[in-house]
Amino acid sequence: MDDSCQEKIQKYEEFVDRRLKPDLVRAIAERDKVFEQQKVFSDLRRNIENLEKNSVTSLKTMVNLGSEVYLQAEVPDTRRIFVDIGLGFHVEFTWSEALNFITQREEKIKRQIEEYTQLIASIKAQIKLVLEGIRELLELPAEKSLPQHIF
Amino acid sequence: MEDAKKGTVTSLASIFPAEEAQKAAKRVEDTIAEKEKELDRLRGFIADNNNLINLVQKLPEELHHDIMVPFGKAAFFPGRLIHTNEFLVLLGEGYYAERTSKQTTEILKRRGKSLDSQINSLEAIIEDHKAEASFFSATASEAAEGLVEIREDYEEENSGKGEFKSGILTDADKVKATADDEEFARMMSRLDELEKEELAAESGNHSDENEETTSDFDEISYQKPIDINLQNSEDTQQRITLEQINDKSIATEFPGECSYQEDISDQLNFASLALQSQTREGKSLAKNLKNLDATSEKSTTHLEEKMVQPTTASKSVVIQHQPSQPLFDRQKASTSSIVEHAGYAQRNSKEKNSTSSQVGCRTSEPSFDSSKAFTGSILEHAGNLQTREKNSTSSQVTGSQPSKPVSRFRMQRR
Repeated sequence: MDDSCQEKIQKYEEFVDRRLKPDLVRAIAERDKVFEQQKVFSDLRRNIENLEKNSVTSLKTMVNLGSEVYLQAEVPDTRRIFVDIGLGFHVEFTWSEALNFITQREEKIKRQIEEYTQLIASIKAQIKLVLEGIRELLELPAEKSLPQHIF
Repeated sequence: MEDAKKGTVTSLASIFPAEEAQKAAKRVEDTIAEKEKELDRLRGFIADNNNLINLVQKLPEELHHDIMVPFGKAAFFPGRLIHTNEFLVLLGEGYYAERTSKQTTEILKRRGKSLDSQINSLEAIIEDHKAEASFFSATASEAAEGLVEIREDYEEENSGKGEFKSGILTDADKVKATADDEEFARMMSRLDELEKEELAAESGNHSDENEETTSDFDEISYQKPIDINLQNSEDTQQRITLEQINDKSIATEFPGECSYQEDISDQLNFASLALQSQTREGKSLAKNLKNLDATSEKSTTHLEEKMVQPTTASKSVVIQHQPSQPLFDRQKASTSSIVEHAGYAQRNSKEKNSTSSQVGCRTSEPSFDSSKAFTGSILEHAGNLQTREKNSTSSQVTGSQPSKPVSRFRMQRR
């Protein structure tokens, strides 16, 4: 009984440590990436709105060549903008078109974030469940909250 | 270790189990992999850097280049690079410098050099780790093969002369060293305290010269170090005579020499402390003289009592010295008398012990006649150090310590 119990506990723990936790870490990393995208697009929207508000048609900017070396660049016509639509494609938009695209893109990103949040929550729930199972096998009292140290 | 057998036989597997050794090897290999990753990253940096150097060199060849100007991370504008010979380079901490193409290239090359050195050091580390890993795996395989380690104690065969050396000298030195270590630790803490007090007193002097409390405190606190110093110097005196007896037989290589020299340096600290403390008293005396209080008398008696304690001759020294250096005011004379006393005592010990090699040839006032042994020993160490240890301690103590209070007096007098 004891041996089989120990074995089971070990199996569960291994499942938590080798499967669930890496999954969780991965999911969180993915969600962070999407968050970053969200930020990129919200920045872009703000910038375009700024251009629109100030009706800027040409601008000068500094281009990063890498290793924090900058060079001046000028844009003669800002009304046409090329926006990354994914998979390496860039589409030429006018400002209003770009803003429209960004809105749609942001909605999609929001949905993605929600998905990932769901996924993360479910992984956490699974971890908790397995740990509860281990607790039951060890016959520890419930208030001694073992899973506390995990997250 | 057993008495019957002359050594022990341990199988390597019992000390380093094969699995453990393999685990260690694996861990080291993991570290190597990690370092390799870092190395790759650095190589990537270098490649980027080289590309950038090429780009920076090429850009000024034309007046402008048509590019897609990035606008945020997800958008571009069609545009062009202008002012192709004006680069803005990050120097760090948010500071940028405007450089030409050539200058930028130089900066980037320097960066590349530092990256190269980083890569070199990383490669050296990886080599080390590889050696370690191979050692571990070798140990693992040896343990698996059942290698044994035989350990046998080495016994000295001829114990005639060696016994004599280690028996008398090193034992004595050991005892001395432990005693002195304790003493030294205590003295060092004391010294630190005194340093603080000195600083406090100094700042006090600048702000308020009439401050009486600090000087009184000094007098009290310096009483103890002198007494300790007395003991120590007596001890060393004995030991030195012992050493000199042995020096006749074993002139060149002296087994306890290392520890002896350490002791000497310790002793020197005490000696310097004694000097310092006495000069400090002189300083407090100076203050009192300035105040022209009744306390000046008290302080004088304090000083003279203390001078009597370390040496019976010191009082006469003070008196003798005063006429000889009439330009100095009184407290300075007492200070210098102590300093001079060092040289004098050296001379004295030189005559007594007839060890010319140990005694430094400091310029001494030849007008004194006799002294007690321990005073001689205090200052003899100063001489010893001068000849034997030409390091910073000796110069600090013999040179700066006695002269420092004097300059302070000068400062005070202004």
